[in-house]
Amino acid sequence: MKGRRRPRLSFVWLQACSGCEISLLNSGERLPDLLNKVEIVYFPLLMDRKCGGEGEFDLPEADVGFVSGSVSSDEHLTLLYALRRRCRTLVSFGTCATHGGIPALRNRWSAEATLETVFPGTPGQPTLPAEVPALLDRVYSVDEKVRVDFCLPGCPPHPETIAAVIETLVTGEQPRLPGKSVCETCPTIRTGEMHRTVRRFLNNAEYNSEEPVERMRCLLEQGLLCMGPVTVGGCGGPATPLCVQARVPCRGCYGPVRSEGNQLLDMLNVLASHGVDHRSIVDRQSLLRFSGAHGLLRSVRKTEGVVLMSEKGNKKSS
Amino acid sequence: MKKDPLIIAFCCNWCSYAAADLAGVSRLQYPGSIRIIRVMCSGMVHPDMVLHALQKGADGVIIAGCHLGECHYIRGNEIALARAEILVETLEDLGWESDRLQIVHVSSSESERLVQAFCDMHKRLEALDQTDFAAVEADE
Repeated sequence: MKGRRRPRLSFVWLQACSGCEISLLNSGERLPDLLNKVEIVYFPLLMDRKCGGEGEFDLPEADVGFVSGSVSSDEHLTLLYALRRRCRTLVSFGTCATHGGIPALRNRWSAEATLETVFPGTPGQPTLPAEVPALLDRVYSVDEKVRVDFCLPGCPPHPETIAAVIETLVTGEQPRLPGKSVCETCPTIRTGEMHRTVRRFLNNAEYNSEEPVERMRCLLEQGLLCMGPVTVGGCGGPATPLCVQARVPCRGCYGPVRSEGNQLLDMLNVLASHGVDHRSIVDRQSLLRFSGAHGLLRSVRKTEGVVLMSEKGNKKSS
Repeated sequence: MKKDPLIIAFCCNWCSYAAADLAGVSRLQYPGSIRIIRVMCSGMVHPDMVLHALQKGADGVIIAGCHLGECHYIRGNEIALARAEILVETLEDLGWESDRLQIVHVSSSESERLVQAFCDMHKRLEALDQTDFAAVEADE
């Protein structure tokens, strides 16, 4: 029975830039094949299908649901719950969905501070337009709110990876992703000699543009802040990581190697273990620019000189 | 109710664990809040382990290693020191008071020094949790 009809796919986006969906459309020759194998029932970027709003969403039933973007408002939460109810397998699609991504940078401030910055009104009273849904206290990744069956990180994920994952999922199997760091797939030359400080991006890396990447020295060893050691690989598909191909250091957009890892702490640990002066990093918290969910980036609340975290306050009072 | 702080102490096998051992046979008194975890070298204590301990409910973490220059693994304790430095700065970013971490260097015969470090940490955490508690109550 199940083999007769084509598997139904549903795509939902929350706070996202649509880059993940565009990346799927970029999968080239695999895409027509893929579209023959599946039926897409909901995909706001491609097709016009209204599913309600104003507090409830009537999404079509689907076998596999893809959700991209992070959860940051009431409306996102309702939409996410609706999708979870209506699909059998839920895939968090892209780094925003798996680790918070760029939207989670707002976790460095409280929701009130964010609103006051974006909708400045009288001090302490932001003027929030009526059609804007209420913000959550912080930006969450999808797996913090609902059960997720498969995490596909990447900003955006590599087109071939997406196509391969969809092809595997519709056969009912669990896909496998590389679990090793970017460095594992990076072909640059490593000598073990590190630059003592982290240089700013004002200087280019040293390389000969006539020569292939394989002849370039490791960017981290050159003193550029390459997040390769603490970022999970796979951005280049089977080839060299994309940023390294372009001779710029990895920015860490695939998130930590282990899903619960902390890129900021791990990266500083790498630098400290190799005797690099970590104080030369200009903006340390930006190392979490792609993985600020899961409570890693937190807004600090100051009370009478004592630094207090809201979560810790709960822990003490409970 | 006043609760005893819980302290996780990572002690290196070659100096500080031996010092803790000596403190035991010398019958030196120290607070019962310490839980010692023996590691082969203080340099193997990854910052994630410290953070994990705090997240799982420890109030403070002590990393105890050999004196600088006397590491069994040549420069493991220098790495531990560098890691502790980044932790002290980063813990605040991540929402923990940097006072909750301490690194001490003790040789295997300096049991008093280790006990002193345990007592200091205990006192400091008690004071910290007092202000913490008061501030939370004032906030609610």
